[in-house]
Amino acid sequence: MDRRTFFKTIGVGLAGAAGGALLTPSASEAQEVFEGEEFFGILVDTTRCIGCRRCERACAEVNNLPIPGISEKANETIYKKVRKTTDTAYTVTNLYETEKGKFFVPKRCMHCNLPGCRSACLVYAMKKRETGHVTWDLNCMGCRLCMISCPYDIPKFEYNQSIPKIQKCNLCYGRFQKGLVPGCVEVCPTEALMFGTRRGLLDEAKKRIAQNPNRYVNHVYGEYEVGGTSHLYLSAVPFEQLGFRTDLGIKPYPEYSLVYLYAIPFIATLTPLFMLGISYAVRSRKEKHEEKHEEKEKH
Amino acid sequence: MIIKTILLPTVICLLLLTIIGMNTVFSEKALPTKEEVIWTKPENKISIAHTEIFGILERPQVIFDHNKHTEAFKQEGCKTCHPVDEWGDFRFDFPKKVEKKDKTSVMNAYHDECMGCHKKSVKVKEKSGPVICADCHKEELLFVHIKYPVFEFDFAYHDNHVKKLREKLGKDDCSLCHHIYDPEEEDETLRLVYEKGTEESCYYCHDLDKKRGPELTVITRAAAKKGLTIQKASHLQCLNCHFKYTKELEILKKKKDEKAGPLECTKCHTGKYKTIAELAKVPRPDRNQPEKPFIGIENARMKGVPLNHSSHEKYNRTCRGCHHETLNACKKCHSVTGIPEGRQVNTANAYHNVFSEHSCAGCHNMKKKEKDCAGCHSNIPQMGIETMGPGKKVCSLCHTGRKEPPTPTPLNVAQLDPEKVKKEVTVKILENEYEPSKFPHLKIIQKLVKISNESKLATYFHANMQTICDGCHHQSRAEAEAKKDTPPYCENCHSVTNDFRKTGRTRLLSAYHRQCLGCHEMMDLEKGRKCSECHKEKKEVPKSITSVKNFELPVRFLEKLGW
Repeated sequence: MDRRTFFKTIGVGLAGAAGGALLTPSASEAQEVFEGEEFFGILVDTTRCIGCRRCERACAEVNNLPIPGISEKANETIYKKVRKTTDTAYTVTNLYETEKGKFFVPKRCMHCNLPGCRSACLVYAMKKRETGHVTWDLNCMGCRLCMISCPYDIPKFEYNQSIPKIQKCNLCYGRFQKGLVPGCVEVCPTEALMFGTRRGLLDEAKKRIAQNPNRYVNHVYGEYEVGGTSHLYLSAVPFEQLGFRTDLGIKPYPEYSLVYLYAIPFIATLTPLFMLGISYAVRSRKEKHEEKHEEKEKH
Repeated sequence: MIIKTILLPTVICLLLLTIIGMNTVFSEKALPTKEEVIWTKPENKISIAHTEIFGILERPQVIFDHNKHTEAFKQEGCKTCHPVDEWGDFRFDFPKKVEKKDKTSVMNAYHDECMGCHKKSVKVKEKSGPVICADCHKEELLFVHIKYPVFEFDFAYHDNHVKKLREKLGKDDCSLCHHIYDPEEEDETLRLVYEKGTEESCYYCHDLDKKRGPELTVITRAAAKKGLTIQKASHLQCLNCHFKYTKELEILKKKKDEKAGPLECTKCHTGKYKTIAELAKVPRPDRNQPEKPFIGIENARMKGVPLNHSSHEKYNRTCRGCHHETLNACKKCHSVTGIPEGRQVNTANAYHNVFSEHSCAGCHNMKKKEKDCAGCHSNIPQMGIETMGPGKKVCSLCHTGRKEPPTPTPLNVAQLDPEKVKKEVTVKILENEYEPSKFPHLKIIQKLVKISNESKLATYFHANMQTICDGCHHQSRAEAEAKKDTPPYCENCHSVTNDFRKTGRTRLLSAYHRQCLGCHEMMDLEKGRKCSECHKEKKEVPKSITSVKNFELPVRFLEKLGW
């Protein structure tokens, strides 16, 4: 291999790697601000929640779902077990007994900054809107990959419908476009749920922790979890005790696969070229010489 | 050939096997550690471990039953085990002779003295102690940790001692316990002297765990050299004196009801402490402290503060609560600009630091965290002078500039104008779902005033009725509202609707709930925790509690088409 061919082959390889890196979006780009519009979200203060379940009722009303009974008697029996969101209940409130007493924790879609469900969706039926809402669209083909990819087990499939859909909280995207807050936030009596821009809510959360260091643990759940989420949680006890997953890490879920996926076109096109270059370089001069001789002989 | 084909592979195989074997043996997990058992119930037992010399012990520690030994040596007395110093006082050290403070010599000293004595009595065929290792180093005591409660020589004990000794000696002799250490004296034996009017707490010099100022460090270093920790110093001082009087009583054989001080561990280390209320009845020792000093500082901007010292004495268990290093006036170390003696803490911070236990503001803030006060005060941010928060009104409560502290007048509900202050307020914000809730306005004011009047601190700082109102109507401006002649409405500040671009201020609905529930939570009230206690449920279940439906997804649009 002579000097010129060596640099050629190396150069092609480097160009390919650089192109791959440029075209792969990084986590920092996709956070917080998108074309001047900020991500919106909800700050959930679990120390304030009194477990009245008005949010559940409002959610059902707003989204045309079966309305749950929220009288005090009904609540007593319902809090006996920990529930999960279903296709007819986008938000559920659970009771956890911890070392510091009882705490109610409302749970719904976290609206991740870089949602795993969106990147898993083959047909882009899951969308991350410019305002932070993660919504589901009609062009779904029912593969349910979003259900597998969600770290919080939120998207639910309507198994008992003839034309099944994926159901989950969409942060009241429709109401938001009319300039209204989500239904659950509107009815919350203690402002345990607070709607606002993600940055504003983070400020508020940090302020509350700073002002009442004894009341809260110094952690805002959702600030960094899976690359940040639009739902932020404050708590008085470590989050494991409230049924939160703390093993998720701070890497957004799409990033686990995104690098590889973007690399495929480059690998597919560049590998044959690279191999050809190597084979050309590896062949000894003698062989080349012989080839030339053979060609000459043929002539 | 033979070496290559047969020997080499076998050697390699053997090597591999040994490596794997060694690895498995040495990577075996250690025995599961048991949890530490802490003995807090006082028994006359002493743990002999000396971890400061031995580090991790080879054999389990020895738990030494002191009572058994004192009973066995009743005739011989303490000197069989403990050395006596030149003044005839016992030094409660054991073993008597330790050549060097290292592992082997300490171990040998213990073994020689303990087992030497045990062996002796075995020879004479008397009842004796163990001579076999495991009889003292018991495996089951490996995780035992003895932590007897600290004895507090409070003012009740002090008063008792003063009175008894006065009877016995016919005069006050403080030098029996109190002394000062003069590090500048050349003759070492004369360094410990007593000087009237310098009596202080033992902790100032003998508590070696705390960091002290430059003046005291010289003394604490000297104490540390002799190993006179607070534990050792107090045992020396108390027990020697108790021992002396027990002996005296035995010889004189006086009346039976006269008793000397206790000599057993359990009698002092009871774990019972007197409350501040119990100690309030006990007179504090007189050390020429001023009754009502005037804290006026030269070159300071603020007017001076009159302090009722004699009443503050009774709010604390010890003098150390405020006088944390010596029994001097605060300004001696904390000057206006700050000096190294006071660790650069200046006068203003010494009195106003919110987070200190020794400052005025810090102690008062601790009081505010108590159950009765926390209802209102948990909503009010803690203010030091740094925050610029308190206006002239608040500062002038203490900084009066008069020599005599003012006597506060208790609040009176009868002062209130019955037309302005409603007896009952109906809140209709959740009218749609519940019957209107009734809020017993006047009853709550009466309760708060009662709580305020019961505390002397609260009576002083809650100067007028407006202060009580501010507990809930926290931002209302009394002067402005008095002119308009309208009551302070919450919704003037707390809007009914959601403004999600501004997250700082709470909505009206949550302002009501957070105010009521927050106060009930902080004051630890059982009442008013359930929805039904304030809100009566309506007979008809309301149809809707929200204003507008959510955006309809395109799916529903297709459904409407009959797809």
